[in-house]
Amino acid sequence: MRAKALAAAVLVALALPTSALAHAVLLERVPTYGARLATAPRTVSLQFDQAVDAFANSIDVRSATGKVVTAGPAHTTDSGRKVVVPLRKLRKGAYTVRWHITSNEGHVISGVYTFGVRVKPPPPTEAYGAGGPTKFEYVAKWGYFVGLALLVGGLAFRLLVLRGRTNPALDRRFYWVVGAGVVGSIELGIIGFILRGADAFQLPLDQLIYGDLSPLARGTRFGTAFIAMTLGFALVGALLFLAWLTDRTILLWPAFVLGLVLCSGLSLSGHSAVDVGSSWKSELADYVHLVAACFWVGGLVMLAFVVWPTAPGLRRDAFHRFSQLAAVLVGAMVLAGAYLAYERLPAVSDLWRARYGQVLLIKSSLVVLALSWGALHHFVVAPALERGRGVGSRAVARSLRGESAVAIAILLVVAVLVDANPPAKPVQKPTQAVVTHK
Amino acid sequence: MEPPPEVVHWMFGVGFLFLGLCLLAEAIIGRDVWRRRAWRAYLWPSIAFLMGVLMWPVMVFYTSSAIHMLAHSAWAQALMLAGGAQLGLVRGKLRSPVWELTLPLALLVSGFAFLIHEQNPWFFSRAAFLHHALGWTMLVGALITLGRAAQPRSPVFNAGFAMIMIATAALLFCDRNVAPIFGHLSPLAGGR
Repeated sequence: MRAKALAAAVLVALALPTSALAHAVLLERVPTYGARLATAPRTVSLQFDQAVDAFANSIDVRSATGKVVTAGPAHTTDSGRKVVVPLRKLRKGAYTVRWHITSNEGHVISGVYTFGVRVKPPPPTEAYGAGGPTKFEYVAKWGYFVGLALLVGGLAFRLLVLRGRTNPALDRRFYWVVGAGVVGSIELGIIGFILRGADAFQLPLDQLIYGDLSPLARGTRFGTAFIAMTLGFALVGALLFLAWLTDRTILLWPAFVLGLVLCSGLSLSGHSAVDVGSSWKSELADYVHLVAACFWVGGLVMLAFVVWPTAPGLRRDAFHRFSQLAAVLVGAMVLAGAYLAYERLPAVSDLWRARYGQVLLIKSSLVVLALSWGALHHFVVAPALERGRGVGSRAVARSLRGESAVAIAILLVVAVLVDANPPAKPVQKPTQAVVTHK
Repeated sequence: MEPPPEVVHWMFGVGFLFLGLCLLAEAIIGRDVWRRRAWRAYLWPSIAFLMGVLMWPVMVFYTSSAIHMLAHSAWAQALMLAGGAQLGLVRGKLRSPVWELTLPLALLVSGFAFLIHEQNPWFFSRAAFLHHALGWTMLVGALITLGRAAQPRSPVFNAGFAMIMIATAALLFCDRNVAPIFGHLSPLAGGR
């Protein structure tokens, strides 16, 4: 009886996955994503690996202004594996294709991409109808920045500030912190990528899981950065693991250098790289700003949560060295930040009129608070520690944790700022040549 | 530019086969004899960890659906976690026996990832069948490795774990992108 019950349970369990529904895989799009066509296409067609159910509105094609340019209902050919929609005569411009089909077992599969007729189309994230970032996306991006700061800043602290002076307890905590940084960077990078896809698709998450993300991964700078950074962080994780396993600190150097290189992925795919008027100077300033911020935030966390609780003998030296490094970091951060603000805000009044400026103002206020706190540490606490006072003080520990908390709060504002659009620059009217006839 | 998915599956099949053969050899001759050469103790965990690192390119370059990406990311992390924890235990960096549970956990997560990411029923096509079979193989593997965590020297659990890895390799080698299973292929997948 018990054997029969067991067999029945196994059979039920085996049957469960079979009730899952089939989903089709998109094999080919014509025109393909990101295509810049010399002549206007007559149709849009999607080739799947299996038969699908298409409806009249399964493929929606719109111009950059949102005008529908399909000339009839979508229909299937090739035994139901190809969905085709006829188009009107397309003018020069960018077009957005949104498609939704149903697999024969009932699952809805979706996608969005762009193509251009005699123009370069925008990335899918800027397709017609794409939405802006959500609050959840801000939180994910915040976590991503914190992860990056823990990883890059933690490694910088260990290699440049501690310079090999450590103990087993400090080591253990150091690897937990930078390990959390690398795992967070990978996980939240993946979540951020999928959420960006959700913005472009404008679908709830449960339907998005069957969305085709290839146009986003292959057709955008953001996607290229995602690919490079995910692979890079996996390698950084492996190097960190090997350094921990073999006790070879030398392996932390390639992990650190790779982490520094990967930070450029954000600068090369963000506002500083793609906005109108961006140049190598804006990309470089963005990179310096980001790296200095990572060193500063990660270093503070290391000092407050790793060195202070685990290595009383190293407190004074670590504080002194980090204080010196922080002065340089803050200088670089402020200079680069000021240059970027000058580049992105056409007028001073944009600081309180435009949303981007308002967020920047909040960020600047928090930065001033953190810098004042840092100045207190630099000019008051560091000399006291040098004189041998306050090394065991709880107030110093609390103060360091407080400054770390403000620094991490700044990263939340940064997460909002990087997804906000800077105000448009006024278009300069061409000077008219005055021709005088004598 | 990427190789067809079936070729990638065969490559990972090679890794699982090597891993399974190492484990089988250890189960047959016993742990003490196997570890007379210190490097042998590191062999299979290193392979598992390396396979986890190599799974990341698969995750980022095959983006035909979000769930596909998430499944490959789960396998990459499961392999790195299981291999890494075993390396830590062998090296003596990790001492708590709780870390032995990372292996059943990794197999559990991997099994569910297979079952959830395959949306077609068992006999839809060969790939669908294999995904279901792999998922259930890994869930059985999770139970076996749970037993192995409780009794690390049990030849039954050790041999069982080795066979799970070899079965995984065999299933991966059987994969074809569009192919029938036991002579049947769903008309939806191109069969008649």
